[in-house]
Amino acid sequence: MIKKIIGNKSKAEQVSTSMASKQIRYEALVRALHGDLYRYAYWLCHDKHIAEDLVQETFLRAWRALDSLKDEKAAKSWLITILRRENARRFERKRFDMSEYDEVTIVDTQSLDHEQDMENQLLREKIAKLPEEYREPLVLQVLGGFSGEEIATLLDLNKNTVMTRLFRARNQLKEALDDEPLFRGQYNG
Amino acid sequence: MDDLQFRRSIYADPNSADKDIIAAQNADPAKKQFAQEIAQLDQQIKKAMDVDIPEDLYNKLMLKQVLVSHQQQKRKSRIHLALAASIAFVLGISFTFWQSSTPYNDIGALSLAHVAHETMHFADEDHSQAQVSLTSLNEKMADFNAQFSQSFGKLISAGYCNFGGIKSLHLIYQGELGPVTVFVMPNEEGLAFTANFANEKLKGQALHFDHANIVVVGDKNEPLNQWRENIEKNLTWSI
Repeated sequence: MIKKIIGNKSKAEQVSTSMASKQIRYEALVRALHGDLYRYAYWLCHDKHIAEDLVQETFLRAWRALDSLKDEKAAKSWLITILRRENARRFERKRFDMSEYDEVTIVDTQSLDHEQDMENQLLREKIAKLPEEYREPLVLQVLGGFSGEEIATLLDLNKNTVMTRLFRARNQLKEALDDEPLFRGQYNG
Repeated sequence: MDDLQFRRSIYADPNSADKDIIAAQNADPAKKQFAQEIAQLDQQIKKAMDVDIPEDLYNKLMLKQVLVSHQQQKRKSRIHLALAASIAFVLGISFTFWQSSTPYNDIGALSLAHVAHETMHFADEDHSQAQVSLTSLNEKMADFNAQFSQSFGKLISAGYCNFGGIKSLHLIYQGELGPVTVFVMPNEEGLAFTANFANEKLKGQALHFDHANIVVVGDKNEPLNQWRENIEKNLTWSI
């Protein structure tokens, strides 16, 4: 009986050390990736608060399942997969509300100089107006730095589809910007 | 590489390291310019996408995790407590069963052991004056739904006892050659019935009835048959 108690104690110590190392891993993960994940979430839902909630929920799930993450290099795509699932769940919970994107909700939070500000704001609106299926791969490529193959795996699409969507996304953005007289201030004469 | 395909590739991935794309750029300045244009667009897109992160997001994430893992810890320790309690409970129950289960596997061995155990105490006392009346005997027999219609022999002592985990009624009569012990005990599972048994000093007979067993144990030379007949003759079961 005494032996059992002693055995338990050393096991408890093991548990607490593994808990501590888990804690360290988690902290590193949050520190390194919360920004990327937040931006990704933001472009997924266009709402600062929902994006924050999504990131919180994602990291909570990540904490619970941290032992299943073997390869730290895969952490980012792992987290993005969790976040996408969380986002999908949000739509299962409430189908109203987010069906139509409202331009006004896009808030510019960066304090750049005025002209830059305008450009950014404009581009943000255009990005937000992109169809979801074009925007998501674009965000993954530009912000996440994922390759075409990686995006294809993440979104469960084939690579050609992803490349086509990326092409269309940039094409639409470029056209939209070229149509915009404000942009680049070329009509000043 | 034709122009359309080139444009498509650049639009899809402005930073492509594909050697065909790079070769095409180097071969044609117009293509190169286009590629640079799109790369610039991509920089702008990147800048536009680069929204500010809420300042305290990191802290919030850490706080939430600490809270959740604290709750988990609490739940875990509750589970441990519950486990410990269950183990203690099971230990307690099995100890009780272990105590109450009889170590003897037949009725004869049990009775002989019981008598031997009692004699140690019994011999020390003087029982010449003791006499138990038929009424008080029958009061005790009522527990087994039985009674004696008349007394036989001199009943020195009658009492319940719990020997080897079995509650039985223990009667001691004054026999010709020493005390004769009569046990009334319930039919117990796991206890084999033996009609006749003996050891160096004592012998005994067991009688099986529907509701109980009656065992008579006396000195080796005691006429136990006589006792047995008396019991059979006088005993009536109320059910």
